[in-house]
Amino acid sequence: MRWAIGVGLVAAMLAFGVGVYEAAGLLRANQHTVHRPSEVSAPSLPGTMYVVQAGAIYRFQHGSFQQITSESGWMQPSTAPDGQLVAVRRQGNYSDLYLLSSSGKTTSQLSHNASTRAVEDNHWTFYPRFSPDGQSLFYDFDPKDAFSSYRIDLAIFVSPMTPGSRAQEFTNPNDYTGGDVQPVPMRDGSLIYTKFSIDDSFQVHSQVWIQRRAGSEGAALTSADAGCGQPAVSPDEKLIAMVCTKGSSQSAELDVASLDTSNLTLGSPATLVSGRMVASPSFSPDGKTIAFLAPDSPGGHFQLWTVGSSGPASVRQITSDLALDSSSAPVWING
Amino acid sequence: MPRTLIVVLGFLLSGLVGLGAYFLPLFQTAATASAVPRGLPNLNPIQPPSQPFTVLLLGSDDDSKFVPDQLNTQSMILLRVDPATKQATMLSIPRDLWVQLPNQGMGKISWAYRTGGPQGAVDAVQSTFKVHIDDYVWIGLNGLVKLIDRLGGVNLQVTNPVMDDYYPADLNASEDPYGYYRVAVLPGATHMDGVHALQYVRSRHGDVRGDFARSERQQQLLLAIKAEASHLNLTDLPALASAFNGEIKTSMGLDRLRSLLTIANEFNGPNVHRVVLVPPYTSEGYAGDQSVVFPDWNRILPLVHQSFP
Repeated sequence: MRWAIGVGLVAAMLAFGVGVYEAAGLLRANQHTVHRPSEVSAPSLPGTMYVVQAGAIYRFQHGSFQQITSESGWMQPSTAPDGQLVAVRRQGNYSDLYLLSSSGKTTSQLSHNASTRAVEDNHWTFYPRFSPDGQSLFYDFDPKDAFSSYRIDLAIFVSPMTPGSRAQEFTNPNDYTGGDVQPVPMRDGSLIYTKFSIDDSFQVHSQVWIQRRAGSEGAALTSADAGCGQPAVSPDEKLIAMVCTKGSSQSAELDVASLDTSNLTLGSPATLVSGRMVASPSFSPDGKTIAFLAPDSPGGHFQLWTVGSSGPASVRQITSDLALDSSSAPVWING
Repeated sequence: MPRTLIVVLGFLLSGLVGLGAYFLPLFQTAATASAVPRGLPNLNPIQPPSQPFTVLLLGSDDDSKFVPDQLNTQSMILLRVDPATKQATMLSIPRDLWVQLPNQGMGKISWAYRTGGPQGAVDAVQSTFKVHIDDYVWIGLNGLVKLIDRLGGVNLQVTNPVMDDYYPADLNASEDPYGYYRVAVLPGATHMDGVHALQYVRSRHGDVRGDFARSERQQQLLLAIKAEASHLNLTDLPALASAFNGEIKTSMGLDRLRSLLTIANEFNGPNVHRVVLVPPYTSEGYAGDQSVVFPDWNRILPLVHQSFP
């Protein structure tokens, strides 16, 4: 009997030691939990939305997400004619553009940027956007500099979708800045995008820029100090949403302003969301709501949010435990 | 001895063994550090630091291209923390800064670590910048990647596209250390794992600012790591320590690390002053066949002594 009690006590002591070990582990700070979008539900939004996580495109409808591509480097989807999507597929040293059906099936490959020669012979394409009439495709591409193998500045190109037509370099990026990005084609043929510059004191400036035609100089829509980029234009082209850092390296706010493309000016911007790391805004089909991506806690993964385009009081968190690709703006369409 | 006391002592001993096992990686890391932290960690609540202190943060490329004991520092950041005023200053020292190295003559400040280890780097910075350094932290490439991954990644505001066709593929020992691959870090707020964060702070080819851009991004990453680390507590340290396995060296004791965690939340963007010694504080040129950065000490020292008295 005494032996049994002794053995029992020793076992209890061992269990206590293991318990202390486990209890210490439970005191660790909470790591951010991440789910696949298709594993969660979310508040329903009008229309259909496409978002990206871990290299897969998801369709968000009626409060649930459906994975429409495999996790294989897909990013930056955008609308294309005939109800299709155009998207980037990024591989190790290159990326290409593809047309996809609304259910995620590849219908054609639009670029061929892989090279079997040297690593540096590969090319990137990013940020595809069709013109509103669907006749031209704008996208970022990295032309090689014949005089410096180190200069890789993204420039925005335009390719007419007619057979046999050639791509044209639309923008002229500032040297060694990384280039011009995030094209938004307008109905009148002009292009709004983000341009970077680096001044004599080595400060980087990001500005929303507008260009009337390919090769023209264009004009800044925002000041260098505001640090604005990632433009999104409402369907009626009367409002522009953009992300502005205002010198901060740890937060970015969502601003919205009226847009006058005839005079190349913006109205006074209103801040809809501040104190967060906002990324990739996108207007709803009726222009009344803006979807954007931002973490819900410092260091957290990017979640889907919405805010009314007329005021900051309506900020609404749609997802809470996803890890959405912040460089892929939500695609928000009717239907 | 009464039986009850024996049983109580048995449970106490068992609990201590459990606790010791949990914190074992901390002690193992201490054993591999170049300077052993002072004593065992104090598990009692501790007072946050009240006196200002200065830490030299060092980063090296420690891949297989280099002899482990003869590394240069690719990154040197002098960090001053004043808990009383809740102000901090980060000063990036250009790796190619051409200085008088103690007992060696003129050379790049990044060479000081190769010849004298962490203390050599500390001595070089102390003698050239006329500052007192309390502690140092050195981290290698894989150490930084593991640190960020253990934190669950970091959020960074990428200021402009970082494009590089010749990014070194040297993280894995099994790969050709002279191989390279292409990097494209797109602008905007983003969540990065360790490998991508390392690409962001290490790439320099496609930016007109060269190494200065890298310095700025390294400071940005430090702030992001600080934001993540401010959520940690003592029980997170063993998992972090086990990830390093010799990839980090520090003269800092565990108690100081703990006390730093207690004040980490108080230091946010606006009260962290960031300094990069861009022109006119420095100018690029050549010393013999070496591409170097020449200091203008008449400008640098007054600037430094504003924040590092």
